[in-house]
Order: sequence, then structure tokens, then C-alpha cells
Amino acid sequence: MASKSYMRVENVVKKFGPFTALDDVDLDIAPGEVHALLGDNGAGKSTLIKILSGVHQPTSGSIYVDDKKIFFRNPRDAAAAGIGTVYQDLAINQLMSVTRNFFMGRELTSTFGVLRMDEMDKIAHEEMKKIGIDFSDPSQAVGTMSGGQRQTLAIARAIYFGAKVLILDEPTSALGQKQQMEVLKTIKRVRARGDIAIIFITHNEIHSKLIADRYTFLALGKVIGAGTKKELAGEDIRRLMAGGAEMADLEQELSAI
Amino acid sequence: MTDRSESDRLQKENWFQRTVRRPEIGAFIVMMIIIVALAMASGGKAFNALGLKNNVAIIAQLGIIATGAALLMIAGEFDLSIGPMIAFAGMSIAIMLKWGLPFGLGEATPFLAFLITLLMTLAFGWLIGTIVVKSGLSSFIVTLAFWFFLRGLTEVCFRLINQNTNVSGLPDFKKESWFAEQMGGEVFGWFFDAWYWVGTKFSAGLEFTADMTKSEKIELINYLSFLNINRKMEQWVTGFDARLLWFIIIAGAAWYVLARTQLGSWIYATGDNKESARANGVPVNRVKVGLFMFSAFCATIFATCQVLDTNSSDAAKGMFKELEAIAIAVVGGILMTGGFGTIVGVVFGAITFGLVANAVFFIPWIDGAWFRVFVGTVLLLAVFANERIRKRITGGI
Ligand SMILES: Nc1ncnc2c1ncn2[C@@H]1O[C@H](COP(=O)(O)OP(=O)(O)OP(=O)(O)O)[C@@H](O)[C@H]1O
Ligand SMILES: [Mg+2]
Repeated sequence: MASKSYMRVENVVKKFGPFTALDDVDLDIAPGEVHALLGDNGAGKSTLIKILSGVHQPTSGSIYVDDKKIFFRNPRDAAAAGIGTVYQDLAINQLMSVTRNFFMGRELTSTFGVLRMDEMDKIAHEEMKKIGIDFSDPSQAVGTMSGGQRQTLAIARAIYFGAKVLILDEPTSALGQKQQMEVLKTIKRVRARGDIAIIFITHNEIHSKLIADRYTFLALGKVIGAGTKKELAGEDIRRLMAGGAEMADLEQELSAI
Repeated sequence: MTDRSESDRLQKENWFQRTVRRPEIGAFIVMMIIIVALAMASGGKAFNALGLKNNVAIIAQLGIIATGAALLMIAGEFDLSIGPMIAFAGMSIAIMLKWGLPFGLGEATPFLAFLITLLMTLAFGWLIGTIVVKSGLSSFIVTLAFWFFLRGLTEVCFRLINQNTNVSGLPDFKKESWFAEQMGGEVFGWFFDAWYWVGTKFSAGLEFTADMTKSEKIELINYLSFLNINRKMEQWVTGFDARLLWFIIIAGAAWYVLARTQLGSWIYATGDNKESARANGVPVNRVKVGLFMFSAFCATIFATCQVLDTNSSDAAKGMFKELEAIAIAVVGGILMTGGFGTIVGVVFGAITFGLVANAVFFIPWIDGAWFRVFVGTVLLLAVFANERIRKRITGGI
């Protein structure tokens, strides 16, 4: 399983003014693997992936892609290096159509920037269908779509644009049971291709156990545990997810209230 | 049950259903009401040969700046500096035409004066846009600052160079300069030629005779005015103001860009959700700065047409024009929050506003101030209507 890593993060620190959001974080990402990034609210997961996708720049530390040290000045740089990100807020524009969202920032154009709208409609429709949603009207505004449909749109978009690393920030958190399973299936399907590395952020222990090959646990901006599924077999994943706090007597605490 | 798919849930709409759901429909209905009401109240005079020319002149004038304001609003920003930018550009051109090029570089042709002025206004547009995107301040406050700055600067320049806050009685450049004719002259003469040609078919045998009573004469003049014939039985109106051509070019280009190009998608994306647009690689800041410059460009075209048409300019030009431009955009269905709207709606809005602004000339018993009462009312209604459309699209949030 542990194939050669595609992307490596070393000693990354991110400060927002006086606030240290990430402190000396390492991460290793390989194709064909689902890497679960876990941690409590505010641990710094979103901040870390924003650095990986060029939205933020690290205060210090380095990122390697294919063993080459790189620096993402903006999301375009990251996209060019094959980082496809599906944000917690999905980076989707409500008032715009499915097609325009699908191609946002990377529209297909002929001379003078004229859009090839029919072609774009067709591709958006087909790509969405491949991973589970059949849309008859690509000009429908995204604001009227369900959460799972938006998630699918965002994932289909990232894959279509050649993502080597697919970053999913809590893709299942806002979804109903059936749609959660749909998204997990989608992730499995992407993993089965073997050429795409997936970073999967979730607060759901079951989901992470279902599909992750490798784990990294963050707490208060620091890595407090990492390893493959096998290596972590004896560890208490739930305890690490909670940032190291003991969760065993949660039930007792709750019943005492 | 299981073979039901997502696409079955969307009801197919026919052409009519789609049309009435279009966002411009409100602006279209208001426009039609105004056209009919004005035609009836003026006894048709608003749309005789001269009435049409005059109405189209003001519609085009308002439409030019409203297009610039609308694109900027779709991208999520306001420009309150449109009016002062018009005054500044008008001052700059008029002063160069009167006093020559800066630094004693000789006489200014209309084209050179326009070009140098455009460079300055584009620079101001760039500066405003850059301040807005770099500082993250609201464009409302930044352009309000430039409202004062440019109004003041215009007056100061007038006084320093011209000792007077207006320039009038410039020579008529339209005869010698092709450029001046295209900006301040007349266009689409064939339209009125054709009108006159048809008119002559209906006026055969009519003439003014000595034994006609006064009211008979007035009736005949009125009749001829709809045939594009004056009281000497010659062609009356010869062309539209050149502004119309510019309005068509600017609005047409803006429509095409928004509906059909990548830049259009970027403008919508910028105004809808700036952060997600940026995360997807849309150069949000460049889009905004570019649109502030486009707004300045529209104001400059407005001013150039005005100066070369009237051969004059003064420091008070463009008063309230920024507010009218924004009002037209809103009535045309542009959301105050950005990300949504079309140029077709803005054109309907400009026609509505132009007709109402001019109504006082065709309906003598009306008080001109009713224009503002109307604008206020329609504006408020439009905002409510737009909000309903926005909720329908975003699913009610
Ligand atoms: N732009 C910013 N400026 C200042 N502080 C920030 C900024 N972005 C994030 N933070 C802070 O950094 C910390 C980590 O935030 P982050 O969004 O990465 O958490 P997270 O692990 O994704 O949490 P959640 O599970 O709730 O999504 C938080 O305390 C947050 O307030
Ligand atoms: Mg987060």
C-alpha cells in the first residue's frame, strides 16, 4: 500500500498575527491512498488544507511535490500542481448555474474568451452523471441544489480538472445518511483509480474507519499522532480525534446532567 | 420507484413560462406601462419625429453610464464617482479645446483632447479600483471620497486655467473633425430619411394656405410632425444623436461579454462569492479594477458626447448622474448584493428613466419634480422585486 508519496509537507507553521494556527506540521500524501486528517474544531485542519491549495501561504516550512520544493502563491499555482480542493463551504457560487460553477475560473473558450457553452454544458452533465447525479438542466442555479448535489458537483469538478490530490474538507458533515454513503462511494471510486491521492477531513469516526488508509491527528495546531491503519490498530482513534482528551466517560458525564 | 432520477423532478417549461420567469420581466413591464402612458398623455407627441430623437438622446446618455454602473454592481461594487468623473472629463476636454494641449504642445484636436482625457480618467478608475481591492474598504466610501475629490478638482482646474467655472461658445468641431461628428453629431440618418420618404406619401396635397384658421394650422403641423415633415414641407429631423451609436456599442459589448465570455463568468463569480471565485482561480482583484476603469470609460464617453454636441461644458455637469445610473441598474434587475443581473434589464431601465425624465417636455401640465417622485417609488418596488428573485434562486436564504 505505502507507495511513493506524491506530496510532502514539512515543519509548516502558520500564524495569523499573534495566533498560531499551525505549529510544525508534517504530512505525507501518496496516490491511491485516502489520508484522513482528523482533529477537533479549530484544530487547524482547514487552515492546513488552505495552505496546500494556495489560499494561505505558510509562515515557515516547506511543501514538496514529486520531491521538488514548491511555493504556491495563489490557488492557480496549486491547481496547476494538481491540487483539487473541495472546501467546507464548497467554493460554489449560489446564483450561478451548474455549468458556470463547474468551470469557474477555468472556462472553455475560443478566441477572445468567448465561452463554448454547449460543450461546457455537455461535459458538466456527463461528469456529474459519472459520479452519481443526473441533471437535465445545467443552467439551473446552484442555490436550489441539495447539499449532497453540491458536494458531488465540487468533487466532479476537481477530478475533471486533473486533480492529483483531491482534498475534501468535511464532505459528509452536512448530508443525510444516504447521501453520506454516496459521497463515501464516490471517494472509494476515486481511490480505486489508483492515481489520485485523497485527503479526507471528517469528524465522523465511522467514516474515517470505513475508507481511510492513513491518519494524521491534529490538536491545537500540532500533530499529536499519525500512521497507517495497521500501525494505529491498537490506538484509540476516538481519543486522538478529540485532541487527546479522554472520552470514555462521556456517557457517564452526559447521564449525570 | 428506484428508476426515478433527479432529472424527472424538474418540470419542463415552455417558451412562455420561461419568459415570464426571466429576471428582466419586471423592468420590461414597467417600461411598457411608461411608453403607453407617455404616448397617451402627450397625445403621441413624445414619439413624433423630434420626440423620438430627443427621447432616444437622453435614454442613450443614461444607458451609457448605467451599463458601466451595472457591470460594477454585478461584480459587487458601487461607483459614486460617475457624476464627478463626467464633470472632470468634460472640463478637461473643453479646456484643451479652448486653451490648447498641456505644456504648450500646441492646438488640441477633439480626438487628442479625448485621448488625453481618457488616459486621465482611466488612471482615476484604476486608482479607485486599486484602493478598493487593496484596502478592502467598501467601494461606497472610497468612491464617495472621490466624488468630493473630483468635483473639487474640476472646479479648481476650471478657475485656475479658465478663470471661470464654465467654457462655452467653443467652435463647432463637427464639420472639420470626423471624430467630433461621431461623438457629438448625428447617426442613423437613413432612419429619418425613410420616415420622411414614407411621410411624403401621406402628405400629398397638404399645404398651408392663407385662409386656414390658427387651430387648423396647429392641427396640420401636428399631423406633419408624425410624418417627419416641418411647416415648410421639408424633412424635419435628419438623424439620432451620435450617443445612440455609443449606447448600442457599449451595451451590446457589455451584453456579449456577460452572456458569452469567460470574463462575463468571472464578473458574475466575483460579485456572487468573492472568496469562492478566488479559490477557483478567478482573478477577482483584476476584474474589479478593470470594471472601475470601465465605469470611468463610460463616464468619459458621456462627457465627450456632451461637450462636442453642445460645444460647451461647466463644473456642474453630471450632477446626480451616479445616483441615476445606480437606480437604473437596480430597476433593470441588478442585485444590490452583486452576482446577478443582465444588460437587457438595464436597457429597459434606461428607456424607462429616459422617457420619464423627458416627460415634462411633452406633457406641459406636469411638474418636472414628479420625475424624482417616480424614481423613488419605482426604485423601492424594484428592490423588493429583485429580493424576491434572489430568494427564488438561492432557495430562500
Ligand atoms: N484567517 C484567519 N485569521 C485568524 N485566525 C484564523 C483564520 N483562519 C483560521 N483561524 C483560526 O485558526 C484556528 C484553526 O482554524 P481551522 O478553520 O483550520 O479549524 P478546523 O480544524 O478546520 O476546525 P473545524 O473542524 O471546526 O472546521 C481557529 O482557531 C481559527 O479561529
Ligand atoms: Mg474546518
